[in-house]
Amino acid sequence: MKNILKSGLLTALAAAAIGLTVTSQASAKDVTLLNVSYDPTRELYTDFNKAFAAYWKQKTGDDVKINQSHNGSGKQARSVIEGLPADVVTLALAYDIDALYEKGQLIPKDWQKRLPNNSSPYTSTIVFLVRKGNPKGIKDWDDLARTNVSVVTPNPKTSGGARWNYLAAWAWASQKYNGDETQIKDYISKLFKNVPVLDTGARGATTTFVQREIGDVLIAWENEAYLSLKEFGTNQFEIVNPSLSILAEPPVTWVDRVVKKNHTADIAQAYLEYLYTPEGQEIVARNFYRPRLQEVADKYKSQFPDIKLVTIDAFGGWGKAQATHFADGGTFDQIYKPN
Amino acid sequence: MNLKRTLAVVVVGGALVGQTVRADDADELKALKQEIEALDQKVRILERNGELDKEAAADKAKAAPIFKADGSGFTFSSADTNFVTSLHGLIQFDNRTFFGDKGVNGNDGFLLRRARPIFTGTVFHDFDYNFTPDFGGTSVQIFDAYLNYRYQPWLQFRAGKFKAPVGLENLQADAVTAFNERSVVNDLIPNRDVGFQVWGDIDGGVLSYAVGVFNGVGDARNSANFDFEDNREFAGRIFAQPFKNTNIKPLKGLGIGVAGTWGESSVTNTTGLPSTTGGTLGGYTTDGQQQFFAYNPATGSVVQNGVHWRISPQAYYYFGPFSLLGEYAVSDQHLRRIGPSPAKADLQNTAWQVTAGWVLTGEDATYSGVTPRHPFDPKNGGWGAWQLVGRYGQLDIDNNTFPLFANPASSATALETYSFGLNWYLNKDITVKASYSHTGFTGGGKSATPSAPSNVTHQDEDVFFTRIQLAF
Repeated sequence: MKNILKSGLLTALAAAAIGLTVTSQASAKDVTLLNVSYDPTRELYTDFNKAFAAYWKQKTGDDVKINQSHNGSGKQARSVIEGLPADVVTLALAYDIDALYEKGQLIPKDWQKRLPNNSSPYTSTIVFLVRKGNPKGIKDWDDLARTNVSVVTPNPKTSGGARWNYLAAWAWASQKYNGDETQIKDYISKLFKNVPVLDTGARGATTTFVQREIGDVLIAWENEAYLSLKEFGTNQFEIVNPSLSILAEPPVTWVDRVVKKNHTADIAQAYLEYLYTPEGQEIVARNFYRPRLQEVADKYKSQFPDIKLVTIDAFGGWGKAQATHFADGGTFDQIYKPN
Repeated sequence: MNLKRTLAVVVVGGALVGQTVRADDADELKALKQEIEALDQKVRILERNGELDKEAAADKAKAAPIFKADGSGFTFSSADTNFVTSLHGLIQFDNRTFFGDKGVNGNDGFLLRRARPIFTGTVFHDFDYNFTPDFGGTSVQIFDAYLNYRYQPWLQFRAGKFKAPVGLENLQADAVTAFNERSVVNDLIPNRDVGFQVWGDIDGGVLSYAVGVFNGVGDARNSANFDFEDNREFAGRIFAQPFKNTNIKPLKGLGIGVAGTWGESSVTNTTGLPSTTGGTLGGYTTDGQQQFFAYNPATGSVVQNGVHWRISPQAYYYFGPFSLLGEYAVSDQHLRRIGPSPAKADLQNTAWQVTAGWVLTGEDATYSGVTPRHPFDPKNGGWGAWQLVGRYGQLDIDNNTFPLFANPASSATALETYSFGLNWYLNKDITVKASYSHTGFTGGGKSATPSAPSNVTHQDEDVFFTRIQLAF
C-alpha cells in the first residue's frame, strides 16, 4: 500500500509538471533578424524592413523585427566573423561575403548561387557629386588628378564602396593609358594625393563632403549621390557622370551558422527573396539603386542614365582584385602616402 | 572646435582683408579670397581628421578587453564577450553550539565550513567552464571542475565533476540556502559526481531537463575524481515552471519536478554506502551534521550489492517575500553483509522536508537568494534585508536494516527535526545567519559506546548555528 501511494504521488507530480508546461507553450511568435549591411543602405533597408514586416505578418501572422547594423563593408564582414550574430548580410561586394566562408566557415562556398543574379538583387555604379555650378569644372576621371582639385573618397581598406571607386578610376585609366601600368599607377597616385580625408565608410565620406563642406568632388555610389540631392536639394550639389564607371553588384546572403542557431533560416531566406519581388524592387529603385527586374527598371529608366560600365570581371574577379590592389602590400599600399 | 575654426579664419582672413584694403587690383582681391578659402578648407580638414581620430579611438576602446569588478566578482572579458574569465569566492565562517548533548565531545566550536575560490568563464563564446576547489573542512578538494558547451540554452552538454541533477535544495547554490546546513533529504541523494550530462532550459526555464551518466556515488557523497568500480549510474531530472512566462504573478514562481538515479554495482569496500560525515562508517547525519545512523552491525561489515535507485519529487513556490521549498526522496539500495552471518537485503530509506521563509524587509525571495533593496549602510539608513526561515523534516530508515545491517542499540531508525532561523543579508555579498535546530530520534540511544552514532542518539539534538558569509 505504501509503495502504491508513493508511485501514485510520483506519477501525479510528473504528469502535473509536464501537463502544466505543455499548456504554457502556446504563445504568439515574435521573430528578430539582424541585417548587417554596409554604410549607405540605411534608408533602403529602413523602407524595405517595414514592407517586409507587413508582408510577413500578413503571410504568417508572425511579428518580425529587423535590426540594422551599418558600417564599412569590410569592417562589417570582420565583425560577423568575430561573432556579430547577423542573420543576413547585405554587403557592398562579394569579396567581403566570401570572407565569411573563408575565414569563418559561416556560409557555404557556393553561397552566391543560392539567389538569382549571383545573389545581387540590385546594382549601382560610381559617379561624382560636385558642388552647385561645378566650380572646378570636373567632367571626368582625369580632372580628379589635377593639383587644384580636392577629392573625397573613403578608405579602400575598410570600405567596399571605396574599392569600387578605386577600381572605377583604375578602369578609366587603363582605357586612357592602354593598360600601361606605370601610367595608371601614376594617375591613381595623383588622385589619392588629392584626398585630404580618408573616411572608413561611404556614409562618412558623404558627411565629409556634404556636411563638413570639404573637397570639390565626392566619388560616390550613385544611390548615395542621389540621396544627397534629395536631402540637401539640387541647389547645393550636382551629379557628374564620368565617361566610364563600374557596375557595382552588392550581394546578399543569409548566414547559415547563425540562422541555424537562431532558427531563422526560413524567414532570413524569405527576407532576401523579397528583395527580388516587384514590391522589393520598387523600394530598391525608390532608394536610387538600379533594380534587376526589367519592368521596374523600365519604370525608373529616366532616373538612371546610361554610363559605359566595366564589371569586376575586368579585374579577374574579386579574389584577384583584392589580392592585387587592396591586400597588405598591394597596389593601394604602394601608391598611397597619407598627407 | 567650430569656434576655433571661425576665429582662425576670421583672424587670418582679417589680416588678409587688411592687406586688400591697400590693394587696388581686383586680381589681388580674388587671390586673397582664394587664400581664405584654402585656409578655411585646411581648418575644416584638420577638424574632420580630428573627428575621425576620435571615432577610431572610440572603436579601439570598444575592442579593448573589459575588466569589471562588482558584487558578482571580478571579470575579465574580451570586447565581444566571447572570452570571459571570472573570479568568485565563497567563505563561510560558522559556529555550532550544542545544548544538553551529554558528553558528545568535539562537536562545539568554530568552523571554516567552506573556503572556495571559484573560477568560471567562457572560451569561444559557447564553451563555459567552472573550477572550484575547497580549502574548508579537513582537506583540500576539487568540488567542481567541468566544461559546458552551450549549443542552445535548451541543448547543452556538460562533462567533468559537478552536482548530480537530483536534489532541489542540493542544486541550490551553497551561498543561498535557507539554513547553514541542508535538510535531511540531502542524506539520501548524491552530491557531486564525475560524469557527462545533457541538459537545457526550454523557453527560458519554463521546462528544464537534465540526463546524465556518472560514476555513481553513495548517498550524500562527493565523488573521488575517479571511479571505484566498473558500472555507471544514470541520473535525470525534469523541472517545470509552467507560469514563469505568463502574467499570472501569484503563480510565476511555482516550480515542480521530479528527479531520480539508477545504478548497479557490487563492490567489496564501503564507498557505495552513504557518506561518512559525522562518523567513521557510512551513514546519515542530522541537521547538526552528527551521524545518527550507520551501517554498523555488531559483527561483520556492509557493502553495496546490486541496484541502487533514488527518486525525488520536488517543488518550490516563490511569491514576493514568501518562499516555500519541499522535496521528498527515496533511496533504495541492495546491500550485502559480509563476515559472520552473511546476508543480503533491499533496503529503502525515505526522507522529506519543507522549508518556508519570509523576507521581513519586503524584498523578493528567489531560488537564487535575496538581494537587499537597501544594503547595509547605517549612516544613510540602509540596514540590509532580514528573512525569517523555518523547516520541518523527517528521515526514516528501512526497518529491515536492523539488526543485520545496523545496530539498533546505537543507530536510530528515524528522526524528526525542525529548525528556525533569522538571516541578515547586509548586501549582495555578505550574509549573517543564526538558526536553531531540534532533532528527536526513534530508536538507538542504548549503547554506551562514546562515539557516533551511539552517543548522538542518546538524547535529542539541540544545536544553535551562526554563520558569517562572504560570497561574491
